[in-house]
Amino acid sequence: MSADLNAPAHPTDAPETPNRTSVPTPREPDSPAALAAPAAVAHASDRGARIAAVAIALAWHVAIALPAVLSARAEFAAPTVVLGAWILVAVTGAVAGVRLLRGSPLPPWPLAGLLLVVDAAVFAAAGERQLFTAANWVWGTLGWFFVLAVWGRRVVGLIALLSTHALIALVAVLGHGPDPADVARYVMYVYGTFSLPVAVFVGSTVIVGLARERAAVSAAGHAIAAERDAAERGLRERRDRLALVSSAAGRVLGDLAAGQADPDDPEVQRLCMLAAARLRRLIAESDDVPDPLLHELRAAADVAERNGLPIDLVTIGTPPPLPVEVRRRLADPLTSTLADARGWARLTVVSGPDEVVVSLVTPDREGPESTGPPPGEHDDGPVQYLYERDGNIRWAQTRWRR
Amino acid sequence: MGADPVAAVTGDRPVGVAIVDDHPVVVEGVRAWLATEPRLTVLATGDDPDAVLRAAPGADVILLDLRLHGRMALDKLAELSAAGRRVVVYSEHTDPQTMLAALDAGAVAFLAKHEGREHCVETVLAAASDRPFVPPALAGAMVGDPRPDRPMLSDKEREALLLWFQSMSKASVARRMQISEHTVKQYVDRARIKYTRAGRPAATKAALLARAIEDGLVRPEEIGIYRSQATHDRPTP
Repeated sequence: MSADLNAPAHPTDAPETPNRTSVPTPREPDSPAALAAPAAVAHASDRGARIAAVAIALAWHVAIALPAVLSARAEFAAPTVVLGAWILVAVTGAVAGVRLLRGSPLPPWPLAGLLLVVDAAVFAAAGERQLFTAANWVWGTLGWFFVLAVWGRRVVGLIALLSTHALIALVAVLGHGPDPADVARYVMYVYGTFSLPVAVFVGSTVIVGLARERAAVSAAGHAIAAERDAAERGLRERRDRLALVSSAAGRVLGDLAAGQADPDDPEVQRLCMLAAARLRRLIAESDDVPDPLLHELRAAADVAERNGLPIDLVTIGTPPPLPVEVRRRLADPLTSTLADARGWARLTVVSGPDEVVVSLVTPDREGPESTGPPPGEHDDGPVQYLYERDGNIRWAQTRWRR
Repeated sequence: MGADPVAAVTGDRPVGVAIVDDHPVVVEGVRAWLATEPRLTVLATGDDPDAVLRAAPGADVILLDLRLHGRMALDKLAELSAAGRRVVVYSEHTDPQTMLAALDAGAVAFLAKHEGREHCVETVLAAASDRPFVPPALAGAMVGDPRPDRPMLSDKEREALLLWFQSMSKASVARRMQISEHTVKQYVDRARIKYTRAGRPAATKAALLARAIEDGLVRPEEIGIYRSQATHDRPTP
């Protein structure tokens, strides 16, 4: 595979491209993911309210209504009807509660109709003497089962059910002869059966709404914070790169502008070439390409080739994703050596999932050492650097191991 | 290894080479390269492997361009190798997969067309005596072999292949690894011999292996499953 130096995208065509690879994309505030979090919070909050409502209804039905019904069963006009209705509501209520907790409630209106039929039957079967006692259990219990039946719907439905319940009770009260004391008691009872279920129903709806809203606000806050972090990181990286560029080219350009450096001096030419190679590599670094390391090495090789150096770039395997710092440590020492190269150069990259080895071989010649680290072995974090000259070749190698 | 290993295979006559390539200019170029080596003689050339072999049935080594008339001749390579023909593949297609596929099909060696005269002569001479020669490009393909069933190479063998691929100078590799050049060559060749286990069996692979055992490059027990085959297919000196 000989060097195909002109084929890759020319990074100079797109200068000042922000580093798209390392800056995390800010979260869209109305993306499905951002909406899911508040919904989950609301769901958790709603579940707590459901458990409370089911527990209140069943506990009231069993702990308060049942003992009263049993102790007064001889005094009902039709004891079997009252007791049978109690059992029917207990079973239906338990099923409705379980279904509600599992998120698949029973159909509300058939259930409500059944409860109203039971309501009327119990009022008829209780008899005048038990009309306002605890043994007439529909007063206290049924409102809570209405709550279970229409859970999650608008409060108007619940009020309609409770009003029907009040109407049935009024018919029963008036049916036994209009007594002003009974009417007063009736009003009190109706108030009692309305207030608590409606309060719980409305309260839970409000709490769920508030939880959803707070979670949405907090998610939006997180998204803004992430966006700000990303922007700050992008800015920091751009500043870092600018500092690197300045150190790469600033001095030699300054010297040339001030007339202190002679463009005919081979050393100045060498420094210019080194600066050009570094600039080219830094520009390549911010390109969004599948193989950033190879792209950056190609950029450096490209500069050398334009300066008339035949260079062979051979790559084996695909490098794993590497942080920009590791890529710099792999490529930079070789860029320095490449700027010194005369005659020819062979640049090779061998990559595996856990190892990347980059090597540059050029003919050895008299002259100063390259501007890279001194000969020998150096460990720079996870990257090992090796440079030697044996009179025959100059050999620079960087090696990253996971 | 004897003083002149090639003479041990062919007697005193030079090694007969057949060149199969569909570009006449390449044929002429390779013929000119080989002509500088008195131990080699080109017996026939052409663009059809069967026709060339009919013209020179006694060719010791076939130099085969892997891409003939627009298609990869891997099947033909496998057929020739199975029949015991020593085929040196040379190609401008030097992607690692192609090189490893050629080794799997039974090629004795793989030469990149840009690797030049010296490597070409050296490779053909080594092939004639069933000895491995690993040019740098092939060393790179072997060291970067990503296949899960690739041969297990030792650390030294891997390092020798890698440095040979990078530097193209065995003297430099020897200095870097602080061993002799001869040992570098041994590590590289041992790695190549391990590749005779990859892909389908071929008479040429068995011959390479048998010669490696004879030269003391590998011990039979290091190779395992190929041992019996090697004893059957040992070429007659």
